[in-house]
Amino acid sequence: MRHLTFIPLATMLAAPVAAQTRAINYTEFDLENGLHVILHEDHSTPIVAVSVMYHVGSKNEEKDRRGFAHFFEHLLFEGSENIGRGEFSKYVERAGGVLNANTTGDRTYYYEVLPSNQLELGLWLESERMLHAKVDQKGVDTQREVVKEERRQRYENQPYGTILIEVLKRAYTEHPYQWPTIGFMEDLNAASEADYKAFYKKFYIPNNAVLVVAGDIDPAQAKVLVFKYFSGIPKGEPVKQPMAVEPPLEKEVRDIIYDRIQLPAVVQGYRIPANGTPDFYAVEMVNRLLSNGNASRLNRSLKDEQQKAVYTGAFSLPFEHPGLAILYAIANAGVDAKDLERAMDAELHRIQKEGVGAEEFAKLLAQLETEAIQDNSRVAGVAGNLATAHMLLGNTALVNKELERYLALTPADLQRAAQTYFSTDRRVVLHYLPMNQKPQ
Amino acid sequence: MIRSANPFTRMGLAGLCLAGSLLSSAPMNAQIDRSRPPVPGPAPTVQLGSHSSFTLPNGMRVIVVENHKLPLASVQVRFDIPPVAQGDKTGYVDLVGDLLATGTATRSKADIDESVEKLGGFLVTSSDGAYTAGLKKNLPALMTVLKDVVTAPSFPEREFTKAITRYRSGIQQRKDDPDAIAEAVGRAATFGRNHPYGEVMTEKSLNNIAIKHINGYYQRFFRPEKGYLVFVGDITMKEAKKLAKEAFGAWKPAMPPMTIDENGNEIVEGLGTVHYLGQPVTATGLRRVQLVDRPGSAQSVIRVTFPLNLQPKDNRALAAQVMNTILGGGVFNARLMQNLREDKAWTYGAYSSLDADRFNGSFSASVSVRNNVTDSALTEIVKELERMRNEGVTTEELDLAKKYMAGSFARSLEDPRTVARFALNTYLNGLAEDHYATYLQRLDAVTKDDVKAAAEAFLHPDNAVLFVVGDKQEVYNKLVPLSRDVVAPVFELDENGEPWNETLIPVQDRTPEQVIDAYIEAIGGRAAATKLNDVKLVYTTTLGGMDITITQWYGRGGLYRSETRMGDQLLAEEVFDGSRGVRRGQGGEYEVMDAELEDLHFNGMLVPELDLKKFMDQMILGGRIKIADRDAYKVVMTTMNMQSVEDYFHVDTGLRIRRIERKYAQGRPMTITTDYKDHRQVGGVLLPHTVEQAGGPMGIVVLTLKEATVLAKAQPASFFGTGLPPVEE
Repeated sequence: MRHLTFIPLATMLAAPVAAQTRAINYTEFDLENGLHVILHEDHSTPIVAVSVMYHVGSKNEEKDRRGFAHFFEHLLFEGSENIGRGEFSKYVERAGGVLNANTTGDRTYYYEVLPSNQLELGLWLESERMLHAKVDQKGVDTQREVVKEERRQRYENQPYGTILIEVLKRAYTEHPYQWPTIGFMEDLNAASEADYKAFYKKFYIPNNAVLVVAGDIDPAQAKVLVFKYFSGIPKGEPVKQPMAVEPPLEKEVRDIIYDRIQLPAVVQGYRIPANGTPDFYAVEMVNRLLSNGNASRLNRSLKDEQQKAVYTGAFSLPFEHPGLAILYAIANAGVDAKDLERAMDAELHRIQKEGVGAEEFAKLLAQLETEAIQDNSRVAGVAGNLATAHMLLGNTALVNKELERYLALTPADLQRAAQTYFSTDRRVVLHYLPMNQKPQ
Repeated sequence: MIRSANPFTRMGLAGLCLAGSLLSSAPMNAQIDRSRPPVPGPAPTVQLGSHSSFTLPNGMRVIVVENHKLPLASVQVRFDIPPVAQGDKTGYVDLVGDLLATGTATRSKADIDESVEKLGGFLVTSSDGAYTAGLKKNLPALMTVLKDVVTAPSFPEREFTKAITRYRSGIQQRKDDPDAIAEAVGRAATFGRNHPYGEVMTEKSLNNIAIKHINGYYQRFFRPEKGYLVFVGDITMKEAKKLAKEAFGAWKPAMPPMTIDENGNEIVEGLGTVHYLGQPVTATGLRRVQLVDRPGSAQSVIRVTFPLNLQPKDNRALAAQVMNTILGGGVFNARLMQNLREDKAWTYGAYSSLDADRFNGSFSASVSVRNNVTDSALTEIVKELERMRNEGVTTEELDLAKKYMAGSFARSLEDPRTVARFALNTYLNGLAEDHYATYLQRLDAVTKDDVKAAAEAFLHPDNAVLFVVGDKQEVYNKLVPLSRDVVAPVFELDENGEPWNETLIPVQDRTPEQVIDAYIEAIGGRAAATKLNDVKLVYTTTLGGMDITITQWYGRGGLYRSETRMGDQLLAEEVFDGSRGVRRGQGGEYEVMDAELEDLHFNGMLVPELDLKKFMDQMILGGRIKIADRDAYKVVMTTMNMQSVEDYFHVDTGLRIRRIERKYAQGRPMTITTDYKDHRQVGGVLLPHTVEQAGGPMGIVVLTLKEATVLAKAQPASFFGTGLPPVEE
């Protein structure tokens, strides 16, 4: 009976939360060709976001074409049957809009944010991209080099820039998550025209995509326009997602990476459940407990009290298949990596052993509540959240339920998640050390 | 082409079985014209939200922007502080911001963090104020924390010490972060090292900072009469008034004691002399190159930059922004992006920024490119600046830029804080009251002539600093012709922005010959080194993904032969027979002569130091220097053929750790740096087992000594034969 006193406390703290969150309105439907469409109406600002998410990411790549999905994303700005090379972005910018795209392990996402009278332009552009994109040799050659420069700029020329690449390749042996979305230069060099054609045909089809229109729209009119531009796009063969099953890590995988750095860093990778599962949210809360805010465990203990770290971080890769939580800390000047690692482990062990008090748990919920509201303060963000909920979490309604999922957790869930997933016996541990410490 | 147009494309429309009554009434024209973009409807009206404002009795101006869309609210405190040069204490201004929320009269750092985070709120402090945000219901509680950190910070000793340690770590980290160097030292390149915007914090300047400086700055500049308090979000005027009065109504801090010196400078108690910025600096001097060496860089981080006198209230400021948008500001269709990325494929992105600033404006074009196009990228950027000045822009470019900027203006209003920012900017920069209300109208009126005039006024390619963070060995020589400064074409800076200078400590207690002798002793002694002959060494390396083996034979009397192979294929060989030498490769063979022959002879000996006099014309001991954190003696030698060799010998072990050769090889001057590591015994003599070479024709090469054999029997003389025809007398 006694422990019951804790449960109402958490619920009590949580109760007003749900009441305050404003639900995102939306309607959704499927076109006959399988394209899923979501409309969100918000007239606060006279702008509209048009976005398409394709269910293809680096996990759909062949082993010798690593980086292809992201490279392909670059190519799909080159033009179409009706849009010349370089014109795509011109149409958007001339209309006063912005455009971009990004690729992850699971999906590729394209979007435009336009003045609301240009909704039809956005739909025309995205339907051209889906129906008959076109790339010439100059475009391919250019974008291949551009992607290589992207890799150099964001990974190779950055201190600690290879962390994700090095962790992934040790955390997975079977699953294509083992390679980074940016890929490898030799694979990009090997790609040929046949690859582009096959990839486009296989993945860039309406039945592998979700279209979101969000903002200052009349949903009835938007629906007509969506139908006008997208219903004529032929359906493709159903996409088979990779089913690679990654066996659990049986032991600790440990390595040293020598980098052009001055301060050592400790990086730990833990295998976690897929995004959208109840335990994924529990792991997310453990991450927050560890390093979200100055009063979080790692920041207070390692940075403030012990002064062993200049920076700490804990985050999850929100993958569709079981992903990773990555914990890392950069050592203060003169602090040894081993010493830093012991301090990190001590904080993990403390959660595993002692759990989380009601007050600290309530703090996490309060932070989540504020962020959940902020997260949906812009139509471009809303569009992305809607697409993700539908495509990767399998249910658009989850866009309004994320906070509920957190509220359903108890301090005991966090302790259990810490014990289950943050096991110091089964993980990847990397020490990033300065080049000059490399044994001669 | 990725996929050809599908002839069945339009047939899909036949299936009109979509659910929903909406569609049944919609006009369903099966033939849509895809060949041209749809015609937009009438442009929506952009509603600029309004703000209210009032002043507290202590002079603090309160700005309120109501927006009730979401149950969120924020409060910002901002002080109007002129830039101050920090001199040898650079860093204390940043510390003011960092320490503001680490202790107050009544709260510890842990208390502050806890009280904000348990409400799910945010608190950010800076050297000109503080900001808090959270749910509306939590705003009163967050305000009490904000009030405390702004009006009663205690700058605790312990937190100060911790921050200094953290800053020190940050400075160390900067050494390896090209973007951080470009940010810190790039500002020094723009404004100069003594300008408040160009000062660079260093370990040395950190040592000069005391809490009294931080406290003095706070007392002098965190003043209610120079303060703004900005409420945004789900809050009413009445609520804001109440909160403002409760938190800051009674705040009337005393000015710290001040005097004025004979130059008119303020001397503030604790802080000392305050150096305000006088006139803004502008673009002057010849176009010049500044370089920060970062060995092993995968890319060069580039800035083309100069300072400007451009204030936000300048009536040319808007045309200048239009011009910059077309040049490189934000749009994908900007010239720099189209040229350097979409046409040349040298970079992931190229941008420019033109900052209008009340105190000192600036221009900076920035790009990261692979090493071998560093000079070309700089040339193209300069060309684009010149083209903009000389030719102006096209109607199409002007139209795109104006539409884009109008769109950005509308999008920015999605965030309620934008209206508050506009209000604050209007006060701080002395803008016309309707500055933002008339923005779209004024933007629309900008002409091609306005843009060209702005380019002529604000782009100064002839006076620009071409700033590069990159691998000196890879880029130095190519940068020289870009500079118009003939005295110091490429000015080298260290990662703190200080002129790069080899720090040599003079050595008086030994001669260069003694250093060489100590080296011979260290590797095993003269006797052992002289005895070591008939040696075969096998090195391996990879070049462009291929495994390469280099086999070398060292015979008695300086005989030398090497073979470079990829698998079984012989790529190159080199032979020295004691007087003549030959090189054979896939391009044919040639006899090695003059300086190259001298080099082949010298490097074709295992320990040429045994008989240095034979090769070297001059030898001096330069002094002591740090090489990769190790103390070394630097010995500079000039050969009979006037080539230069610098050797660095480790002070503790006596071993050579680096050699830098400046020589003429394969038709061009080269500077080759070789590092020697992992010394192990071969026949009683220590030889390096890892050799890293950079700057040669093949870039960076790491050789590993895989096999070292002292041959039982000397190779026959024919083995070292050059195969060259005899010299005709």
